[in-house]
Amino acid sequence: MKKILASVAATAVLVAGAASAQDYPNEAITLVIPYGPGGASDLAGRALAESAGKFLDEPITVVNKPGAGGMNGARFVSQADADGYTLLLARVGMALSPAVNPQVKTGWDEYTFVGSLEATPMILAVKSDSPYDNVEELMAAIKDDPGVMTYAASGATAIDGFTVQSLLSDAGLDPLNGATIVPYKGGGALATALLGGHVDFLAISAGSLMPHIESGDMKPLAVFSPERMDDLPKVPTVGELGYETAGQITGWSALYGPKGLPDSVQAKWDEVLDEVAEDETWLTLAERRGSISTVGEKDMSAYAKSQYELFRGLADEFGYLGN
Amino acid sequence: MLNELMTALHAVATIQNFLIIAAGIWGGVIIGAIPGMTGTMAVTLALPFTFYMDPVPSILLLVALYKGSTYGGSVSAILIKTPGTASAACTALDGYPLAQQGKAGKALNMALYSSVVGDFISNISLIFLAAPLALLALKVGPPEYFMLMVFALTTVAGVSGNSLLMGFVSACLGLLLATAGEDMYGSFRFAFTDDMQAGLSVAPVLIGLFALPELIKLIVFRNPPKARMMEIGDDRVSGREFRSVAKSLFRGSFIGVLLGAIPGIGPSAAAFFSYGSAQRASPRAANFGKGEIEGVAASESANNGACGATMIPLLALGVPGDVITGVMLGAFMIQGLTPGPLLFETNIHEVYMLFIGMLLSSVLLLFAGKFTMRIFTTIAKIPPTLLSPVVLLLCLFGIYAIGNSMFDVVVLLALGVVGFGMFLLDIPTAPFLIAFILGPMIEENLRRALATSRGDPTVLISSPITWIFAALILFVIALTARREIGKANQRKADAK
Repeated sequence: MKKILASVAATAVLVAGAASAQDYPNEAITLVIPYGPGGASDLAGRALAESAGKFLDEPITVVNKPGAGGMNGARFVSQADADGYTLLLARVGMALSPAVNPQVKTGWDEYTFVGSLEATPMILAVKSDSPYDNVEELMAAIKDDPGVMTYAASGATAIDGFTVQSLLSDAGLDPLNGATIVPYKGGGALATALLGGHVDFLAISAGSLMPHIESGDMKPLAVFSPERMDDLPKVPTVGELGYETAGQITGWSALYGPKGLPDSVQAKWDEVLDEVAEDETWLTLAERRGSISTVGEKDMSAYAKSQYELFRGLADEFGYLGN
Repeated sequence: MLNELMTALHAVATIQNFLIIAAGIWGGVIIGAIPGMTGTMAVTLALPFTFYMDPVPSILLLVALYKGSTYGGSVSAILIKTPGTASAACTALDGYPLAQQGKAGKALNMALYSSVVGDFISNISLIFLAAPLALLALKVGPPEYFMLMVFALTTVAGVSGNSLLMGFVSACLGLLLATAGEDMYGSFRFAFTDDMQAGLSVAPVLIGLFALPELIKLIVFRNPPKARMMEIGDDRVSGREFRSVAKSLFRGSFIGVLLGAIPGIGPSAAAFFSYGSAQRASPRAANFGKGEIEGVAASESANNGACGATMIPLLALGVPGDVITGVMLGAFMIQGLTPGPLLFETNIHEVYMLFIGMLLSSVLLLFAGKFTMRIFTTIAKIPPTLLSPVVLLLCLFGIYAIGNSMFDVVVLLALGVVGFGMFLLDIPTAPFLIAFILGPMIEENLRRALATSRGDPTVLISSPITWIFAALILFVIALTARREIGKANQRKADAK
């Protein structure tokens, strides 16, 4: 009897092992979002779960693991089993945080780069009654009175802090003390700070600002994106205006897994992402979030590397690493 | 306008919408009543379903879940001293003693009526006062916010029990614990392990401090409380009782509306604020914390009063005030609606439908609450020796499920031990919790205010709103000092 049981168990293990390699996925996949619910990354993750779930035959469960600027969730995934059942909705922060913060232990490359998902432009904006109508005027005002102008950002070393600091640096101003940072948590709180006149300007993700720009409460001065935004054809990119480093900064999302993901899993996702790239739901939802789908367009590992190097250089220049 | 209202009513009054709201409310009440499962969780889990629904029903479903769970939190707070949500923490302070006195039914009914009244007032305010309240809310910048939060913290003086000093110690410990994790400028405090970098979440601390010590007491002291404690008993709220708490109930509702309208404050702070004010104003102040029905009314009217009002900044300005309205903003965007001033011009039909649906949900809350109460009161008949392990299990699973994190479970158990230690030393736990929840808001806004003023502290008393709160804070301090001096004199007189 024992023998029979043992052989049954062994067969079961073998079958299960074979099945997991060939028929990935055969159970629900967990997609970790390293930020809280309701934000731009949460919406992107849930949209991906909806679209990709259709082509996988297995549902994708979305789990929010916020904290430590996104690195809490990122670390969780990088340490998870590399079986393809735990994946990460990665953001620019996964390349930025290890570049600027020596305390962050999870490196930019401790993942399998499954594929890119979207580009999320950032917008430099002021309140509609602000006296500044373009980037030059704003920079001139900051130069006249260093440290007096305030801007809202998630943190000095967060992406929306780097947008402003790189702009200041490109304009020949002190990136850290030229304008004073006032930290807020989340796109909603950041937008409110500007609407209420508690800060002078900000440069944060487009999704949080577009409603206020459309209603006329905020004035967009420039966009952080390789190209102008379809919705704001008259607003120049910072690159166009000659701010070179700032021109390389933009937001993005990608799909990561733990390092050493099996080839079969990667192959399955290549297939699925090709479908998602054309999927009507995915494209519509991306447009409504104010982002541009880049599914399958970029060589993700090369792009993540270049982003890491960009931020590493900036962090060094701004003095975040020297102390 | 009347014509538009009628068409909206026609559009919203379908069996389908009715069922969606009822399901949302009832589901919310149940999720809220289960320890460790929060409204945020309910709303987040429901979000993907709304991708396939029409815009208005999908928002109504989320709103109903939010309201239901905010009320539901009071059920477990009263019956097993385990606040289902942080905003019900003050409800437990009086609700649980009432349940021990065999008046669980009365406390549950009071909580329900207060929630429904608060909810209704909140909806009416949303409909008629959204624009002016939203403008007022925008005026609340970091200095105003800081003063408001410090004032809310003065509630600590009221929930300190016998010793103000111990309450003060407890609050300081809470503030200290709140600093763990990454601060707003990116430096780490008390980050001994990788998990600590993200700080401690509210839910494990809340349940650890409130529910676990009760279970540990049962294990350590081994004296099962008398059977009477768990009887539902006296379950009606008499007309006279209702009139006697009416003032606190309505004050609580308006506090909820005002604080709910300010982005980032939310139901928890509103409930603390209201509980503190009710206690200061009540002729039965000494009975608060020992089973005073007015405390339940003050806390529950304020937290549900804040629910509808959190929709004010969302709808009128397009800015979400907390995580739940953040998820709702996401739902709006997915539906192709953009909240903000333009919504009232471009989608007034949907806005009216939403308003009517929300009014309907207030009424449904009353029925769902009554119905659920009957189910949950059977829980009270289960002997504590059987109930407690089940509660512990639920707490463990619930806390794990929020973030799929074993660290949260460790926090839960550690805080349970801390809470039991505090019980042995006669240190009240409520000030700890209140300080823990308000701490980050106080710190962040103080630092923001000082950043904008470049270190000049006078920014904290630079506007009329800050003057009002500064005066209120001084008033409460003076009042507390007078009471303490009076107590000290009394003791001296007794000693002689």
